Amino acid sequence: MARHMGEQKKEAVGTVGRKMTEIIMECRNLSKIYGKVIAVKDVSLKIGEGEIKLIFGPSGSGKSTLLRCLAMLITPTKGDVFLRGKCLTKPGVDLNKARARIGFVFQHIWLFHHLTALGNVELALRRVLKLPKKEARERAMQALREVKMEKWAHHYPAQLSGGQQQRVGIARALARNPDIILLDEPTSALDPELTGEVIDTLRDLAKKGATMLIVSHEMPFAREVADEMIFFDEGAIVETEPPEIFFTNPRSERAKIFMARLIKRTRRE
Amino acid sequence: MEFLVKYFGLLLSGFITTVEVTMFGVLMGLALGVLLAIGDIYGGRIISTIIRFYVEFFRGSPIIIQLFIFYFTIPDLLHTLIDPFVVGLLVFSLNSAAYQKGYIKGAMEAVYENQMTAALSIGLSKPKAIFYVILPQALRLVIPAWGNEFCSLTKSTSALLVIGVRDFTSAAKTIAGQTYRNLETYTFTAIIYLIWITAVMKISDVLYEKVKIPGIEISA
Repeated sequence: MARHMGEQKKEAVGTVGRKMTEIIMECRNLSKIYGKVIAVKDVSLKIGEGEIKLIFGPSGSGKSTLLRCLAMLITPTKGDVFLRGKCLTKPGVDLNKARARIGFVFQHIWLFHHLTALGNVELALRRVLKLPKKEARERAMQALREVKMEKWAHHYPAQLSGGQQQRVGIARALARNPDIILLDEPTSALDPELTGEVIDTLRDLAKKGATMLIVSHEMPFAREVADEMIFFDEGAIVETEPPEIFFTNPRSERAKIFMARLIKRTRRE
Repeated sequence: MEFLVKYFGLLLSGFITTVEVTMFGVLMGLALGVLLAIGDIYGGRIISTIIRFYVEFFRGSPIIIQLFIFYFTIPDLLHTLIDPFVVGLLVFSLNSAAYQKGYIKGAMEAVYENQMTAALSIGLSKPKAIFYVILPQALRLVIPAWGNEFCSLTKSTSALLVIGVRDFTSAAKTIAGQTYRNLETYTFTAIIYLIWITAVMKISDVLYEKVKIPGIEISA
């Protein structure tokens, strides 16, 4: 079903021409250097409206650093980040405003411990978008419904399972209607049984046309929703391919080795 | 012990003074302690050095010397007089702030890192993140230390005697001096202190339990 929709989406893009899709997020020659360690090396990428791109790659390769640079949670050492054409790396840009337009989902979830699920989702609506109380509550409940967590609205994070917490994390990221959602290994800290419910949530979002950049090693999910696969290693993009090519016949040697290992591991699970 | 009834008024007003100075000191100390903790974490090197000197002075010198400095030395330099009760309020606030800054800073650092990143990621500014995310969690963790601070400050206020403020201890000393009944007077005073401090510690425990949120607690 999602696959079918994905094809429709591509067709629609095809008829108007690729250039017509607005570029939501872009980075050019982005690098992040910590002392002598180059975490991200000269990365350029673009994500158009409604596109879903997945980043694959070994751990420690700089994927999280790249995502955090894109969200301007850490300042890139070199290069530029653009959100809807607006440069975020220039001095004097209101980064709080920019971050309000970017949803971020963390590997270790990081909900606000002192707030209920609803409170977590509501906080940005009240204190960043400054919506009136009633409207903020309605929108937060709507976001919780989208991740099927409305029944748990009044529970604190510590009272929820990891999968439920991550769904609240997704609701928190999406309640503001951000331009793009960046997800940093949203399922890798969860038990395999809990991964499914989070993946289902992301699949729903994909169907609704959300623009997403996801670091994830969930292969079936990637095959299903990704418009493009980005293979990342040692701080740089090694290759980008449509998923059907990437999964059957990656070009680079490193991607081949990585995929072989990942398939072996997945089978074992 | 009937003789104490005669001095009830004196004891009561002394007790009230003790409670007033303690309450004021702990609350002002909290407000100031939060500012000092924030200043120390975000203020940069110069501000944080100034704060360190401040804290070391109030933690590293006897409370009686601090009272003398604010009652005698500073007014002398300024050619003025300050009411000893006001000096008491001031010194105990500043003194308590020095200790509370430590507790608050520790608690803020305990919740700081990932919560701050998450708060920034939803578009909150740093000050808003501190106010809406970091402090609500840190202050909950501080409550037990806060109870201790109240307890220790209550006892420290007996030093007010040296600058002539009629607190509870000073009232007891007056009575003992007039009646020569040291045993009864001081035993009675000690018991009242004990009851009061036990009650306050109990209130602090209840408060801690009341505002406690699953997931934010001090592990035993």
